[in-house]
Amino acid sequence: MEIDRTDGRSPNQLRPLACSRGILHRSHGSASWSQGDTRVIAAVYGPKAGTKKNENPERACLEVIWKPKTGQSGKEEKEYETILKRTLQSICILTINPNTTTSIIIQVVHDDGSLLPCAVNAACVALVDAGIPLKHLAVSICCCLATCGHVILDPTKLEEEKMKAFAYLVFPNSINSILPEGSSHTKSKQLEDGLVTSVTHGGMSVEDYFHCLDRGRAATARLSDFLRKNLQSQVLGEGSKAG
Amino acid sequence: MGLPNESGDLLSKMDSDASRRLFPLRFYESHLSISTRPDGRPLKSAREAFVGPGDVASADGSAMTKIGSTTMLAAIKMEIMTPSADKPDEGSIAVEFYMPPICSPLVRPGRPAEIAPVISKQLYDTIMSSGMIDLKELSLISGKAAWMVYLDIYCLDADGALFDAALYSAAAAFSFLQIPVVSLSEEGRLTIIPEEGNGNKSDKDVVNKGKRKLTISSLPFSLTCGLHKNYILPDPTSEEETLMETFVTVVLNSSGHLVSLYKPGGPVLAQTSTIQDCIALTRQRMTDLQKSLDEAITEMKVD
Amino acid sequence: MTGKGSATPATYSPSPTSRKGKPPAYKDGDLNWARPDGRGFQQCRPAYFRTGAVNAASGSAYVEIGNTKVIVSVFGPRESKKAMKYSDIGRLNCNVSYTSFSTPVRGQQLDHKEYSSMLHKALEGAIILESFPKTTVDVFALVLESGGSDLPIVISCASLALADAGIMMYDLVASVSVYSLGVNLVIDPISEEESYQDGSLLISYMPSRKEVTQLTVTGEWSTDKINEAMNICLDACGKLGEIMRMCLKEAASVSSEVNLGRPGGRLKGLQGA
Repeated sequence: MEIDRTDGRSPNQLRPLACSRGILHRSHGSASWSQGDTRVIAAVYGPKAGTKKNENPERACLEVIWKPKTGQSGKEEKEYETILKRTLQSICILTINPNTTTSIIIQVVHDDGSLLPCAVNAACVALVDAGIPLKHLAVSICCCLATCGHVILDPTKLEEEKMKAFAYLVFPNSINSILPEGSSHTKSKQLEDGLVTSVTHGGMSVEDYFHCLDRGRAATARLSDFLRKNLQSQVLGEGSKAG
Repeated sequence: MGLPNESGDLLSKMDSDASRRLFPLRFYESHLSISTRPDGRPLKSAREAFVGPGDVASADGSAMTKIGSTTMLAAIKMEIMTPSADKPDEGSIAVEFYMPPICSPLVRPGRPAEIAPVISKQLYDTIMSSGMIDLKELSLISGKAAWMVYLDIYCLDADGALFDAALYSAAAAFSFLQIPVVSLSEEGRLTIIPEEGNGNKSDKDVVNKGKRKLTISSLPFSLTCGLHKNYILPDPTSEEETLMETFVTVVLNSSGHLVSLYKPGGPVLAQTSTIQDCIALTRQRMTDLQKSLDEAITEMKVD
Repeated sequence: MTGKGSATPATYSPSPTSRKGKPPAYKDGDLNWARPDGRGFQQCRPAYFRTGAVNAASGSAYVEIGNTKVIVSVFGPRESKKAMKYSDIGRLNCNVSYTSFSTPVRGQQLDHKEYSSMLHKALEGAIILESFPKTTVDVFALVLESGGSDLPIVISCASLALADAGIMMYDLVASVSVYSLGVNLVIDPISEEESYQDGSLLISYMPSRKEVTQLTVTGEWSTDKINEAMNICLDACGKLGEIMRMCLKEAASVSSEVNLGRPGGRLKGLQGA
């Protein structure tokens, strides 16, 4: 049974993606990511000297500041900050620059559904732009569950509110290995199978959740390709950005 | 490479308390390798949970829960509000989670815990997602008055698994809740009728006669598991929480539906098998928690 | 998500209007009137003390006297804040806070900001600050339910928590307050009685050393009345000190039975739910 989506997309179709790097001049790294009408700008400052009070000085420390489009920062923003911080901590190599702090500032430009995944993607690109060492990229997607049990990817805000449940999922990006097939197989398999972050809203059955996971993981291949293409083309376009 | 060996020898010589403070990770992993946890639990077992009525006199429903040493006190107060124009038949719930300075050495009076607003929001989302409360039941007079449920949860002792204990105490508080009977006065305000002698108030003034308890369709129960290397460790204590950085919180409701699967990042990636194990552990835990809660409810009814 | 950013709507509590306008139970010049809970004028409420309520703290105590329930945790001695200057005696840091359900009306913020400094003054005379130089001892109190006579109960509970934490003190501090209502002196008032007081006297007393660490007087008092009130208070403090000492002895004897050496875990006496 086909789901009719208001903008005519198929259930597995993502909204048009757009990504640009280096849009802010003062920050060490910046990126803008938009999925359809949802647009988020991420800026990275760092590494700066010194860690915050309770943090381990033997590792680099990350700090996330989430700025909503309007109004003051409340509990929702604090939750997003915590989720984003832990997600990015898992992809950064924290032992390379110990006793430093890297600040990531997220500014919501427009929220039309799928806000947290957009922010994760933007933050990831901004970190690459700033040259922070990463283990792998993180690609993020939102999967919705309709009442009939179908899984829909990348919902708009209206769709999110109407749906029974939705899940924000973050996966490591798919691997384009230059090594021949079979070598280091287990490690890459683990990476491909892994889930970095999951935040769900609304109740769903356990099987439905695993369907969402599968669909989401399948979509990450497309997102990873888009990311790779985007990052490569911009690197070729600019000279080295020293400092 | 003299240093690691030295510390290895030092570890075997010094007593357990010192090694616990100086080399916490090594101390911990030495326990894991013999399939036990420092507090003596087997690897996959969660701490025992206690639940009881909270004895808060000014609250309409209250509960106290204890998971290991983590203690939570939840209190529900109901106040009257005017419902919003686009939802005239619905009341509202406000959840607030407090970590007062008594609960943990990391919280200071001027510096509130960072995790408190996050847990507040998580609790609110979980309670709304689980469908435990039907907001339409909170309506009193359509368009004019509805119940505003203030749920305040105070952490009295923080020793890991804060969200689990808080959610359990919220579920218990809603189960113990007694909605006060209100009547409409001449000025249009609703006031509580005292229990004894409603002689001069005629029955038709009473707005919600007979609706003393909320119908709770299904209670959510949760279990937080820490992921460390290849181990899944349910119900971590605060000491374990500082060593592990990856946590998965699974919330199931009594009908077996997944209310929430919350994994906020962390260095360990969760494989599908890991997630399935966590869900299975949560199901087990849910039966225990539900049993304790049912016993507490029947005890309260007897009183 | 719906509800984001919308301010919580204004609500009111449906409880019957507060008893502020209610006249006191006695009339001027009346010598014999009954207290709302039926106690005699010189009778204190029965007290229930328990130490070791909070595992995360170095020492803690829980007190329930009538309807007033208080938990106090003591952390320390621990590192002072970096901003503080060097000091060769220890520092004491106190904080008293209320839960939102401590009063019948939610969020009715009682004006008790001075309780933290009053707690500090009551305790600092009793603690041997020289025993922990350069460090700070933090005493945090949370009033779960306020049923009258909050501050004296917080002070007594705090000194019990300090003893549980092993902080060196000259003696336990027991604290009691006496209110003058009309011509009578009433000890250990409940909140109703507190609201129509003519004067109050609060004493924090070290029973074994017979020394007063804090004396607070408000309202109008004649010399005879003050003397009488002080005698009543000191007597009650002595009895309260006895109860506190018994509680500590019990706690110590229980834990010495259970604490048979400590393998990695913490067996700190069996605390029921």
